Amino acid sequence: MKYLTGLLVSLLLCGCETVQPWERGILSKDEMQWQPNVMEARLRSQIYASKEASSGGTGAAGGGCGCN
Amino acid sequence: MASSPQEERNKTLAALTSSALLLPAYNVAVADAPPDFTEIGMRYSKYKEDDLSAKKVFGARSQRMDIDVAQFHLLAPVSDDWSVALDVGWEDMSGASPWFVGESLVDDGEPKVAMSGASIEDTRTEVSVTTRYYFDSGTAGVNYTYSDEDDYESSAVSLDGSLNSADGLTTYSASVSASDDDITPTQGKYPTNTLSATKDIRSAWIGVSRIISKRALVRFGLSYTYRDGYLTDPYKYKDNRPDERKEWTVSAGYRHFFVEQNGALHVDYRYFDDDWDIASQTLDVAWIQNVGQDITLAPFIRYYAQDKAKFFSVVVNDDIDSEYFSDDYRLSAFGAFSYGLRVNYDIGNWSINADAERYQTDESWGLYSGEESPALVDTWRYGIGLSYAFK
Amino acid sequence: MVRVEHNFKAMGGPCSLRVDTDDKAAANMAVKAAVAEVARLERKYSRYLNGSLTNRINRAAGEGLPVPIDAETSALLSYADTAWRESEGLFDLTSGVLRFAWDFKSDRCPEQCEIDALLPLVGWDLVRREQDSVYLPMAGMELDFGGCVKEYAADSAAMQLRRYGVTSALIDLAGDMVAVGAPQGVATGTAGWPVGIRHPLQKDRAVAGVHMPEGGLASSGDYERCLLVDGKRYGHILHPHTGWPVRGLIAVSVLAEQCLVAGSSATIAMLKPVDEALKWLDGLGVPWLAVDANLNCHGSLALSQHAGKRE
Repeated sequence: MKYLTGLLVSLLLCGCETVQPWERGILSKDEMQWQPNVMEARLRSQIYASKEASSGGTGAAGGGCGCN
Repeated sequence: MASSPQEERNKTLAALTSSALLLPAYNVAVADAPPDFTEIGMRYSKYKEDDLSAKKVFGARSQRMDIDVAQFHLLAPVSDDWSVALDVGWEDMSGASPWFVGESLVDDGEPKVAMSGASIEDTRTEVSVTTRYYFDSGTAGVNYTYSDEDDYESSAVSLDGSLNSADGLTTYSASVSASDDDITPTQGKYPTNTLSATKDIRSAWIGVSRIISKRALVRFGLSYTYRDGYLTDPYKYKDNRPDERKEWTVSAGYRHFFVEQNGALHVDYRYFDDDWDIASQTLDVAWIQNVGQDITLAPFIRYYAQDKAKFFSVVVNDDIDSEYFSDDYRLSAFGAFSYGLRVNYDIGNWSINADAERYQTDESWGLYSGEESPALVDTWRYGIGLSYAFK
Repeated sequence: MVRVEHNFKAMGGPCSLRVDTDDKAAANMAVKAAVAEVARLERKYSRYLNGSLTNRINRAAGEGLPVPIDAETSALLSYADTAWRESEGLFDLTSGVLRFAWDFKSDRCPEQCEIDALLPLVGWDLVRREQDSVYLPMAGMELDFGGCVKEYAADSAAMQLRRYGVTSALIDLAGDMVAVGAPQGVATGTAGWPVGIRHPLQKDRAVAGVHMPEGGLASSGDYERCLLVDGKRYGHILHPHTGWPVRGLIAVSVLAEQCLVAGSSATIAMLKPVDEALKWLDGLGVPWLAVDANLNCHGSLALSQHAGKRE
């Protein structure tokens, strides 16, 4: 875990090239979004949270539900 | 001083050029902006838990939860720097849930699940409104979410903001949220652990995302969540949990577009830890494949493994002397694999999507050791959605 | 290195995109985005398309309600305003209505009274323009983006290509061109895309050639449509103040950083009397070519003094 975080952080700090604003066409494609389908992502994370003991990580936690 | 005709006319070129440069085609500034289109979407999903195998339950009752979900989503620009989003969800639940785990006297003390006697029938409605302001170097949003069902009511407010670096390569984000939840168990046949209780959730998150090449993005996040109040499951026979829980997560995500394959790789990882001694790791991998102009196929897999809570035991004996205890399978050590496929088809302004996901759990798939709860669940989820975008 | 070529029809004429690349898949993606961008602008600004923004603005003329516009349109109208000011009223997006008086398929000139009836509807200064709305105060008034949207679309297409990593391309939207970088695989030094400027009277002949540097090349000409009455030629470029055809240059081409600026400069030059136009173009400080009614060539791009007669 620590190793993985270390790897990713070093990737973040040094593995970057300068990408000019007019070169970001591919990065703005739908397929490159953090969350491609809002409704599906909402439902998925809610279902996982109701069957598992952990939740969150992609933002501040919202309210709960009495999911059985 | 009078200017020469030469200078006068050069001023014309300068005036035309500087006026043209305000147009979006030349304006390479990285200002965030609301979506160009209004987007309306609807989605129907079916969630179904597999029946427990007969040898894992007392009696004949082995059927678990079925949920029908309908969702509505609206995202609309209000002006050049405002947008509003509305999300509404309806859920219709029916079935049964594990009530407790006991040792079978018939089967050599084998742990078996006793299901809740009466069939649970409940509906949940959730309404969530978000408004977002877009400024030159970032965005700021406010969200209010209200959720209501027979035995549970929750309202939550969250604030979030993001800020882009001057070169637009890095985005810093943060959010905070607070929720007040009311629990009023309604089930008739068996006694519940409380008649009325409340809990509060406070949460904060920070994240940073970075463009690392013309085809790749990465992000990291940290979150802290504090839950305070009635955290015990009101319906479980043998359940008493601390009234406070502190959770942390560390997460990372990666997106890479492969031009030759015309597809994108998504990898997301989360590490979770809390003061109930639950730790978990989640890895999500998806491949978004474009097929022709209008179709995308997205197979995905997810792996999840969690450690058990410090007060969990497969069977809670009647003579237990510890303050906190639970036999809830959700607090046990287990691993889960899920896999699925998402298909999207664009027809003009319309988009149709469908997906299916299989979720399977097993104690032996986990990364953490622990006894297997007989109540671990396998599920199916199917969904079909339709969305429409217009100006 | 491969050259990806794509020919398509848009903006009322034949268009082509040429991309030199080592990554064909990325180039195809870029071309797709560029074509979609041109189609978007055509749908948005075409005067003829029902439901286009131009169509909605024109139909709301004199109805009392301003039409809401987005930031792009607002910037385009600001640009048109600058061009109107800089040309002392010659560049005027409202002058399109004058075409109702002129039928270039017939053999007669309109009566002065026919023109006089339309002239009150022309006048950029009448347009009520706010940051987020526009309104034409008289029924019958029209906005026509035809004089700038094709050039703007060429620039926008170039931006899309760049966004997808293209560094070497030539865009041609029915004669309005934008070069991105230089073509690959040719000797450097003469760097630039080799482009011909068409002869004003002969469709398939070039009057001049140029190696296009990064930027735009736009042409305006009075050769497409005209009217011959009693041996006298009436071109289709109408003066916004008189409503009569301009007796000026018959073709002007301008090179500028933006195709949009090149295009409006060429248009403004076409509307001026010949001597004034040549002086104005000369002072602009960019490469240009003009052909007068006697087929004499002027400007820094001219290869010879005379364009040559029809063979």
